[in-house]
Amino acid sequence: MTTRRRVAITGIGLVTPAGLDAASTWARIKAARSCAGPITIFDASGFSTRIAAEVKGFDDLPPIDDRKLLKYASRAHRFALAAADQAVADAGVRPALQDATRWGCVVGAGMMTVAHQEIAAVQSTAAPEGEFVAKALLNEPIANDVMAFSRSLSTAGVSLLLRRFGIRGYASTVHTACASGGQAIGTAMRLIRRGLADRVLTGGFDSMISPVGLSGFCLLSAVSPDNDQPERASRPFDLTRNGFVLGEGAGFLVLEEWNSAVQRGATIYAELAGDGNSLSSYRITDSHPSGDGPIQSMRRAIADAGASISDIAYLNAHGTSTPMNDRSECAAVKAVFGDRVNDVGVSSTKSVTGHLIAAAGAVEAGLCALAIRDSLMPPNANLQQLDPDCDVNIVRDQPRQQRIGMAISNSLGFGGSNSCLAFRHPEDTAALVASGR
Amino acid sequence: MSRIVITGNGAICGAGTDPGSIVETLLAGRSALAPITSFDAEQFQGCLAAEVPDYNGGKLLGDRKLLKLVRRSDVFGIYAGTQAIEQAGLPAWREALDETAAAHYADQTGCYVGSGGGAFEVNYDFFPLMAETKNDLNGFGRELSNMVNPMWLLKSLPNNVLCHISIRHQLKGPNGCITNHTSSGILSVIESAWALREGDAERVVAVGHDAPIEPQTLLYLDRVGLIGTDLLRPFDQRHDGCLLGEGAASLVLETEASALARGATILGEYLGGGDASEGEGLFSIRSDGDGLSRAIELALDDAQLKPADVGMIVAHGNGTQESDASEAAALLRVFGADMPPVTGFKWSVGHLFAAAGLLDVAVGLEACRRKVVPGIATLEHLAEACKGLNVSKQTRASRSDVVLVLCRGFAGTNGALLLRAIQ
Repeated sequence: MTTRRRVAITGIGLVTPAGLDAASTWARIKAARSCAGPITIFDASGFSTRIAAEVKGFDDLPPIDDRKLLKYASRAHRFALAAADQAVADAGVRPALQDATRWGCVVGAGMMTVAHQEIAAVQSTAAPEGEFVAKALLNEPIANDVMAFSRSLSTAGVSLLLRRFGIRGYASTVHTACASGGQAIGTAMRLIRRGLADRVLTGGFDSMISPVGLSGFCLLSAVSPDNDQPERASRPFDLTRNGFVLGEGAGFLVLEEWNSAVQRGATIYAELAGDGNSLSSYRITDSHPSGDGPIQSMRRAIADAGASISDIAYLNAHGTSTPMNDRSECAAVKAVFGDRVNDVGVSSTKSVTGHLIAAAGAVEAGLCALAIRDSLMPPNANLQQLDPDCDVNIVRDQPRQQRIGMAISNSLGFGGSNSCLAFRHPEDTAALVASGR
Repeated sequence: MSRIVITGNGAICGAGTDPGSIVETLLAGRSALAPITSFDAEQFQGCLAAEVPDYNGGKLLGDRKLLKLVRRSDVFGIYAGTQAIEQAGLPAWREALDETAAAHYADQTGCYVGSGGGAFEVNYDFFPLMAETKNDLNGFGRELSNMVNPMWLLKSLPNNVLCHISIRHQLKGPNGCITNHTSSGILSVIESAWALREGDAERVVAVGHDAPIEPQTLLYLDRVGLIGTDLLRPFDQRHDGCLLGEGAASLVLETEASALARGATILGEYLGGGDASEGEGLFSIRSDGDGLSRAIELALDDAQLKPADVGMIVAHGNGTQESDASEAAALLRVFGADMPPVTGFKWSVGHLFAAAGLLDVAVGLEACRRKVVPGIATLEHLAEACKGLNVSKQTRASRSDVVLVLCRGFAGTNGALLLRAIQ
């Protein structure tokens, strides 16, 4: 049997509340300074939660050099285009005419695709009294605007990326709520393994910081109502945690078949070594208190990477800061690692960035690669009073300098999809490759 | 590589409530396209669509409480998925297992869903609140919990079918929800097959579902030039656009070892799949059919088959001039003069977007099992740009037990799937 094709991460692009690129995001995360603050992009004064982690200063950046493309792009799509540009530039390779069909693109896209102003415009014409009258749409400008339709399509994001980079291979969009980014990157890795692609541009993008988006989470009481202390609101694993902080942004990676990346002399951040995927099939919003569901996805990712639990040094937790998630996730971590649980440093970078929903897993995959590069575990901010149910080895307050042979990253979604990705230090992969494995 | 077999096949659309009845409708030359009843569409272009008749969500779900948590599209997906799962005999098999074996069974059973999402109708739930508070966002925030269903977000999730099918049938294996417009359903089958090939699961349920017959979607589709007038006429001189349908389809795919161990009835075999994009933009199609012909070639390579092995082709055939012509170009490039019978089902079932490809797979498999290629009843004179395409108004025989199913979507995505029908 031939050895399996391995996958290298050679490019990272991040647009997050913590920074407008990978370097600034990473610096802010290492400093453990939360990005949560009062919502400024719309008037949230009447909402039970009025805080979020917004991407700041993005509109001041020079836009990408394709004005036509931008007309088809929503806020989240613009984050995606910017992060993907960074990732491709960082990788130092882009699709050319002769290899465009060997490039794939897999994205995790957010669920909320229509801008609030557009919903409001349609409502004012087609439902002025609240009751929707379909035929009133016929003379409503937004409902006849092809550009508005383009931005609303679930494939709008992947379409923009395919066109911008001239990618002509396997293309897919996935949405499994908060697991979307992780599952997209896992799918992308498998395309290379399967031989269906040699390089894949992959990631996630989302922005639900809008009246309707925030409404959905307020109605479920899923977001922290700590409006007076926003910087303290996202506190995964803290006994007093009371919900997540909504974030926004995009994370993109360039993945490459390992040997081709080595041959062209690419800088390899890490090997994307394993993808584990499971369903909780328990309740729509929760995983089982025992951790059933995430247990399987973590075990599958580690096994898929050809590793064992003793190889894992760092876990980037889903760690949303909701009472239920963090307890259940820690139960799963303890079940998976057993008596080795204290050998694994754990942190939730959502303590700094907030929860980027469909982009979360993609951004956190990028952070795991940076952690491996720098031999540095990012800290879990805001942990003052550890929940006794969450008594794992949390990287508190300060980053932890330690070589990371392998890292894993959890993303657990509403609807019960769980994703775990496993990353390996490139030196360790090189040694495995040299020994013929 | 061990064989991947199909042991469950479910479908629902305007033309029937299972693959068999849909094939009967097609063979009878009957179209399910009729005036839209779910909203007042009289003044809309394309006011014909293939709606599921006498829609009753609670009855289709068999669970009235669940109806509050899902949308119409989800109802179809859960219905078709359950149909396929029951046909495969999975619930009875699971119930006979002891606790340990049942847990193993759950971990080894995955689910991939192609979902249409649904951008607009979920927003209509906010209209009463917006009307009440006008443009006052402060009031919007304050009145929110009094006027909007607290479960609104959950009801809106694009991955609802994955969630509820997995809870109902205790599926815990590898999974995904693909929201890639029309290629979603086909991609869900391709991903399912790979999960089996890679040993990550023993069984996988693939579902595709969508319900695009909704006023804002219909209007937009008309504005981008997709919607036709009175009939959907794929490849015909008078083809002038597409009409919408709704529904879902589902397959249960298994490793042959799993199916044999369970003594399951084998309906077919998954042979291979291919996916390719054109990268030209959201609504652009290359006139040479480049993406589609590459997808077909990838599927043939994956299945280790030659064009001559294909017995029948279920084309995308959406009835728009650009799509039909480029699809004919792609098929001519791959098959040349030796083209098996080509058909398409949208003239009767409408375009189901995210469910379209998987519905064509489910119905195409059933037709191929009966060795028939249903005709395209609306075909009178082959369009000049489609010359050479082996299509017919009449029912014909498949030239082998291998069926090729094609699917194309916005963003220039193309999927192709090869199945073997087994009696």
